Amino acid sequence: MPPARTIRQRATNNENDENEGTTRLTRAKAASLGVAEDVSAPPIKKALAEKKSTNSTTNRGAGQKRAALGDLSNVKKNEVVDAKENRKPMQAKPGLVSKAQSAGVQKSSKSSSNRPVLGAKDANKTHTSSDLKRSASGSGVMGREPKKRNTGSSGSQQSVRSIKEEQEADLENQPPKSSNIIPLEEPAPAEVKYEAKAEEIYAQEGDVKQEIDEGVLDLDEQDLDDPLMVAEYVVEIFDYLRDLEETTMPNADYMSHQTFLEWHLRSVLVDWLVEVHTRFHLLPETLFLAINIIDRFLTCRVVQLDKLQLVGITAMFIASKYEEVLSPHIQNFKHVADDGFSEDEILRAERFVLQTLDYDLSYPNPMNFLRRISKADNYDIQTRTIGKYLLEIGLVDHRLLAFHPSHIAASSMYLARLILEKGPWDATIAHYSGYTEQEIQPVFKLMVDYLHKPVVHEAFFKKYASKKFLKDPKKTLLKEESKDRKQTLLKEDSKDRW
Amino acid sequence: MDKRQHPSSFQQLEKLGEGTYATVFKGRNRQTGELVALKEINLDSEEGTPSTAIREISLMKELKHENIVSLYDVIHTENKLMLVFEYMDKDLKKYMDSRGNQGALDQFTVKSFMHQLLQGIAFCHENRVLHRDLKPQNLLINSKMQLKLGDFGLARAFGIPVNTFSNEVVTLWYRAPDVLLGSRTYNTSIDIWSAGCIMAEMYTGRPLFPGTTNDDQLQKIFRLMGTPSERSWPGISQFPEYKPTAQNYFTQDLRIILPTVDSAGMDLLTRMLQLRPEMRISAKDALNHPWFRDVNNQMRPGQSSQQQQQQQMVAQQQQQQAQQQLHAQQVQRQQQQQQQQMMMAGQQTGPGQPGYGMPTYQ
Ligand SMILES: Nc1ncnc2c1ncn2[C@@H]1O[C@H](COP(=O)(O)OP(=O)(O)OP(=O)(O)O)[C@@H](O)[C@H]1O
Ligand SMILES: [Mg+2]
Repeated sequence: MPPARTIRQRATNNENDENEGTTRLTRAKAASLGVAEDVSAPPIKKALAEKKSTNSTTNRGAGQKRAALGDLSNVKKNEVVDAKENRKPMQAKPGLVSKAQSAGVQKSSKSSSNRPVLGAKDANKTHTSSDLKRSASGSGVMGREPKKRNTGSSGSQQSVRSIKEEQEADLENQPPKSSNIIPLEEPAPAEVKYEAKAEEIYAQEGDVKQEIDEGVLDLDEQDLDDPLMVAEYVVEIFDYLRDLEETTMPNADYMSHQTFLEWHLRSVLVDWLVEVHTRFHLLPETLFLAINIIDRFLTCRVVQLDKLQLVGITAMFIASKYEEVLSPHIQNFKHVADDGFSEDEILRAERFVLQTLDYDLSYPNPMNFLRRISKADNYDIQTRTIGKYLLEIGLVDHRLLAFHPSHIAASSMYLARLILEKGPWDATIAHYSGYTEQEIQPVFKLMVDYLHKPVVHEAFFKKYASKKFLKDPKKTLLKEESKDRKQTLLKEDSKDRW
Repeated sequence: MDKRQHPSSFQQLEKLGEGTYATVFKGRNRQTGELVALKEINLDSEEGTPSTAIREISLMKELKHENIVSLYDVIHTENKLMLVFEYMDKDLKKYMDSRGNQGALDQFTVKSFMHQLLQGIAFCHENRVLHRDLKPQNLLINSKMQLKLGDFGLARAFGIPVNTFSNEVVTLWYRAPDVLLGSRTYNTSIDIWSAGCIMAEMYTGRPLFPGTTNDDQLQKIFRLMGTPSERSWPGISQFPEYKPTAQNYFTQDLRIILPTVDSAGMDLLTRMLQLRPEMRISAKDALNHPWFRDVNNQMRPGQSSQQQQQQQMVAQQQQQQAQQQLHAQQVQRQQQQQQQQMMMAGQQTGPGQPGYGMPTYQ
């Protein structure tokens, strides 16, 4: 399935106000439409639990996860039920806990000094209330009134979306031929250290604003007649985004002050969110923003293991509100987290995360930079598709946290062009990416190192292993084109937004 | 932004205004005595913090400019969100009602306000933000006659290429025709249309296109600007809301309803009120329009005399150039028309040709 599909779907479904939140799939509605009520992606805990036991039951684990994956969509009804049944005994936290049990427990002994902010829920029940209260009082958050559920009017559009989602999921969930060969191993402990410290690179860099040098083609000129390219502001905008990058960087070393967490848990969380993101058919920007929210939050706050998923789902909830035209109802986020947290918990977490980040969601999305570079690559669809995949390594591999989004985008395109033998990184592409071949090296090496390792991020791997991302979207887009907005879509097609 | 202010840090005074999702009060900082505007947003929604508020806060914290209202603080309590803004005397609507001659403002004020409005808009656009709800009620005036953009509740950051957004934006009267026609791929030009409507309204004291429904709004626009066709607007029939109408209006002379606008002002207004979004002038270019020559040349306090001299020289040059420019623009427009015709004939237009809708001034 071509990426364009999603876009078109969005276009037809999101006729409503942006984020009005009025279009939602109520349980009743879902039932009446015969949609599987549980719109959740596979439960992270289960995935985690299975991963944990990989040593003994690699293949079986993968198979079971498959069934759980079926949840949302496809497969046979009873299979879905099976999956749900299976999931039950897993219960909320244990999965996550088990994954990191040794570390988590070990570490928790020294926890009392560090103030855990998002208090434990099940495991540390005794601490919970006080922890929560502390965080609550600190942020002016008190209890909330019980929510009324509005089952009114316009569930229809969301329903349509869910049905389509289901169909699409069907296709996406083709039996994973590769599942048996995905090595479910822990990442090799030996990690490549970057050659140069990221901070040093940026310190040397100075002012990144560039005049157009000799040998650089002015590619913006040709966009003057294309309103969507905003040619008259494009240079200022990218200068501004480059300035913003610095202000929204997480501390690349935040795990050293996280009492209960390890990088490897972040990695599991991000991989799960990649999957949630795909299931909800959200914009690429939303995923990147969500992960940035998580990392900046973890930079500021110590989080308990069993609240990590809450942070993740809340970040996705906030990012959707910021980026999406129509952001999914909170219920979807609750379900996708296997009802491990109540809506009220998510709402309180939302407020707390927003306050912690000082409401600053100005993160310059790497997608912007990738598109900018793609322009200097003639919007070659292949390069960009691979580039986009590589860009997401920046999400799952924490070693890339230290690098600016523009830097990761440059490296992604650089590597993509290398793979496709697209020729040298010339002055023009260096200009539009903002990085020379040499400057790209540290990021590039880490990416190559990631790719050399066995697959650990299954959802991420599968997303791109599926046909959807390898097919030429151009043809399909033209085929799927309906009567209206032909021009726009044709235009979008040449630099479509995948 | 001060950390963790409490609502009680502010004395709540009279109500200043009420919007669709918020109530705005005048307030006083109990410690400093400073006047502020308190925008209270109720959080009774089960969806938590409204996306409009999330965007409004995040974007306004970014956009620090003298023509954009400053956001001082955010106070997030159990069931409401309180945004603390710099205090402004009134919104432009109220200003016109109170100061104007039946709402109409004098030319000097209109020009000053338009210049400030466009500076605010240009700043937003340079920082990849669309306001999407420009109207007199959302523009605020203080005692120093400064105009500032307020109410970023519908604003959002855009990427390049601009993403597909909702078409349920901008208050009907100020909504651009492409958006009325159902376009969801609008760009910065959406704010320019609103600015044009506001400019005309400042001159007359009455809204330029006071439509009642989407269709009526389009009718009112076409009645004045002429009904577009595939010929004048290639691709128009592809818009979702496009309906071929029985009524075919000719383009009216704007001077008939706006007799007090001088010719340079009319030229600028016409460039802002282009039906086709790609033909609309950008805020950046509008600020360099000859109509603003005298504003641009005004000496600003705090400048060195050297700067002032320089400015005066530039001013003289500009004065001379102004006439030439107006002429050049006419020529350019002719070229644009030719270009369009060429496009209709299926010819390629290369990057070397002047981009239409993008006049460049000195
Ligand atoms: N900083 C301020 N100083 C003085 N008055 C203000 C200020 N901000 C807002 N107001 C007044 O309050 C009114 C409503 O404010 P605002 O537009 O921000 O609220 P809103 O609920 O978002 O409105 P809308 O219905 O347009 O969405 C304004 O039209 C103006 O009259
Ligand atoms: Mg308002």
